[in-house]
Amino acid sequence: MNDQTSNKYLCMLRSESGGCEKPSPSEMEAMYARFADWQQKYADNILDMGGKLSQQGAVVRHDAVADGPFVEIKEILGGYMMLSAASLEEAIAVIQASPMVANPGTSIEIREISTQ
Amino acid sequence: MNQHLFRHEYGPLVALLTRRLGVGHLAAVEDAVQDALLKALEHWPHSGEPEVPSAWLYRVAERRLVSEFRAQRRRQQLLETLGAGEASEVLPDVEAFADPPIGFGGELTDAFLKMLFASCHPDLPVHSQLVFTLKSLCGFSIAEIAARLFMSEANAYKRFSRARQQLRLDADLSGQLNDAETERRLEQVHKVIYLMFTEGYLSSHPDLAIRKDLCDEAIRLGHLLVESRAGQHPESRALLALMYLHRARLTTRQDHDGALVLLEHQQRNDWDWGLIVTGLALLNQAAEGEQLSRFHIEAGIAAEHCMASSFEQTRWERIASSYELLERLAPSPMYRLGRALALAEHQDAEAGLAVLSTMVLPGWFECSYYWYAVKADLCFRSGHMDDGNGSAGKALSAAPNQHIRSALKRRFRRYQDFTDT
Repeated sequence: MNDQTSNKYLCMLRSESGGCEKPSPSEMEAMYARFADWQQKYADNILDMGGKLSQQGAVVRHDAVADGPFVEIKEILGGYMMLSAASLEEAIAVIQASPMVANPGTSIEIREISTQ
Repeated sequence: MNQHLFRHEYGPLVALLTRRLGVGHLAAVEDAVQDALLKALEHWPHSGEPEVPSAWLYRVAERRLVSEFRAQRRRQQLLETLGAGEASEVLPDVEAFADPPIGFGGELTDAFLKMLFASCHPDLPVHSQLVFTLKSLCGFSIAEIAARLFMSEANAYKRFSRARQQLRLDADLSGQLNDAETERRLEQVHKVIYLMFTEGYLSSHPDLAIRKDLCDEAIRLGHLLVESRAGQHPESRALLALMYLHRARLTTRQDHDGALVLLEHQQRNDWDWGLIVTGLALLNQAAEGEQLSRFHIEAGIAAEHCMASSFEQTRWERIASSYELLERLAPSPMYRLGRALALAEHQDAEAGLAVLSTMVLPGWFECSYYWYAVKADLCFRSGHMDDGNGSAGKALSAAPNQHIRSALKRRFRRYQDFTDT
């Protein structure tokens, strides 16, 4: 999977804070099943499932240290993952097929990690 | 992985934690278990599923409840020192909480069954018991339940909260039901399971998967019951047998477009023979004791259908007399209709009509499409065309939805004299 033509992409999951009602166990198991299918289908592309980012954090600037990592209040950077793909288009396709984007209020930012 | 892991973990965990904390905290417990599942949904894709998912979920839910109740207690104490003498809610002693006990699996199942018995309260309407069971023990949301039972969400919610209220009033859940009460409740538990099954089986929900869901859930509960001490009853086994024998034919009741397929046209080769064999074995085990229940007889009828090599080869005479027996046991117009149809096959349509002519119709049944559909069919078959068309019109306008209406039309179009208006 790490042949010469593949690039690495960092995917950052943002979701709007607060909001929607909790899904029921039966809805959750459907989501979990979709997740498992997606992981299996794109196993070659998924380098690292990454993880969830805690809400604890700080922003360090030249003049001060601020509590909280948030740049914007409305959206929370909730998690990250690493993908391998031949192109940004392929990375987009992989993310679009994931159940993560199905939640309204969620966006995923994809950045190529430049090694040059 | 177990396909229904989330749903199947939910009920037992809710039941066990509720048993520990008291039924007054059911809502907090449901919330905590739901949150634990949400955590699982976040973590398991990364870290993989834990070896014992229920223990993992238990710990997460328990931790949340403990910190919630501690915070509440602190608030209460603070208010008391400030002299704000509000009547404070009785909080459970969470300090005594510990990790999952030894024999955890057994205790989970035990708590689950106890809660099922407690929720099958004789003072509650059976539909409310069903809604409560589906929500708190089977892990469906109110919206999903409303869609499955063809009721409004508001109605489903009302039923759920009334059932929860009833449970609170009656502390059966934390105490133990005695043997006599358990025996009495068993009948009610059977009713709820049977209703869950028929809601799936007879439903005309266009999505077959949704209907299978309900049927399979009912069968799962039936299994848990039969394997428990309280369910060591021939009637429980007969109920389970009945559900297996019907479930074996479920997928052939609908064609690819979702239209209903009548028994006569079902592909018998596509029936699930594994399920039929299990059902027959259960029915065999149910044949002990003195009592013959409606489930025994209904399962016997289902078995006749499963074992007949064709519609024509069915032993209709036996089926007709089984329905007659059912009528004596528990009079219902549905059994009368079943007998009329079986007699029409065994003798002729006139014989079927004769059975219907002596029938006293209860009010609720008069506006049901079943009655008119059967009557129309038998009238057409015996040459009473005017009566046939009259009843057919009433059946079509009483049909609850499009699927049933078109199945009826397809059936009536076999008769030349049917005028489709």
